[in-house]
Amino acid sequence: MTLTVPVLRDITEPNSLLAARLRAIFRQHNVLVLDVIASPGAGKTALLERTVAGLGRELRLRVIEGDPTTSIDAERIVAAGASAVQINTGAGCHLEAGMIQAALDQLDLADADVVIIENVGNLMCPTGWDLGEDCKVVVASLPEGDDKPLKYPMAFATAQAAVINKVDLEPYIPARAARLRQNALTINPDLAVFEVSCQTGAGLDAWFDWIRAQLGRKRVGQPV
Amino acid sequence: MHEMAVTQGLLNMALEHAAGRRITDVYLRVGRMSPVVPSSVELFFNHLSQGTLAEGARLHFEIMPVEMTCTDCGQQADLTEWADLAPPVIMGKALARGCACGSKRLRVTGGVAFGLVSLAVEEREE
Repeated sequence: MTLTVPVLRDITEPNSLLAARLRAIFRQHNVLVLDVIASPGAGKTALLERTVAGLGRELRLRVIEGDPTTSIDAERIVAAGASAVQINTGAGCHLEAGMIQAALDQLDLADADVVIIENVGNLMCPTGWDLGEDCKVVVASLPEGDDKPLKYPMAFATAQAAVINKVDLEPYIPARAARLRQNALTINPDLAVFEVSCQTGAGLDAWFDWIRAQLGRKRVGQPV
Repeated sequence: MHEMAVTQGLLNMALEHAAGRRITDVYLRVGRMSPVVPSSVELFFNHLSQGTLAEGARLHFEIMPVEMTCTDCGQQADLTEWADLAPPVIMGKALARGCACGSKRLRVTGGVAFGLVSLAVEEREE
C-alpha cells in the first residue's frame, strides 16, 4: 500500500529563503545591491570598470564577480580602483544566494554604499535565482543583435534597467539601438534603458544618475 | 546545465518529506518558463537516487502554462490561443496585444516555478 504525502514546495525555496535573509541584511546596512546579467562578452565587466571610474570617488562601490574559473574580471575591477570578491562557479551557469552569503565574509557591508554583483555570462539561468538584490540590470550589446529581448524575454522582464552597450559600433553593423530599446520596452515598459559605449564613455552619465537615484530611494526606504 | 544541482535539491526535499519511507512516485509541476528541463531532471534523478529510498521512483511532470497578468488592472491574460507556441513567442504576442483595459504592462505570473507537489510512499509495515 502506498500513501500520498503532500509537499507543495518550490525546489528553489531554500535559495529564495536565503535570498530574503540577505535582502534584510542589505537593508539594515542601507546598501543598494545590483545583479548584472548578460550574455558572455556583452560588456558587464567593462560597464563595472566604467562605473567604478565614474562613481568610485563619490560612492563606496563593492563588486562580487561571478565567473566559471578565472579571476581575470576581479583583477580588472581592482585595477579600476574598487575592491572585488571573486566567486568561481566552475560548471555552474548562474550565481545562487549561498554564494553571495559566502562572499559577504570577505566584504564589509558597513563600509559599502553599493554592491554590484556580476553574474555568470548567461541570459537564461540567472533569471531563476534570487540573490537578495534590489534590482537586476541586463546588459545587451548591440552587435549581439537587436532582437535579444524577444529571444530571452525573462532577462528583460525581471530587470529594472537595461544597458545597451557598444552603441558606437552601430554604423558598422545591421543592429539598431532604437530597435533594441523598442524590443526591450515591449517586454517590460517600466525598464530604464541606457544606450552607452563603455569604449568611448558615451551615455554613461545617465546610468550613473540612475544608480545615484536608486541609492537615494533605498536610503529613505522607498521601493527601488 | 544546473539540472544536477537542482535535482539534488529535489531529491533532498523528497527524502526529507518521505521521512524514512520508500518513495515510489514523485509528482512535480514544472512551468514552461521555469529554468529546468524535465528530461534532464529525470536523468539525474535516476542517477542521484541510487542507494537512497527514492531509487526507482517514477517522476511525473505536470507542465504548467505561461500565465501573464496586467499590472494595471489585475486581469489575467487569456493566452489559450497561443498555448502551443514557444514561451518567448507567447510573451511577445501577449505584450504586443496588451490587456483588454488598454494597458501594455503585463507581467509573467505563472509558468516559471518548479515545484514538488506530492510523493507516493510505501506504508510502513507495522
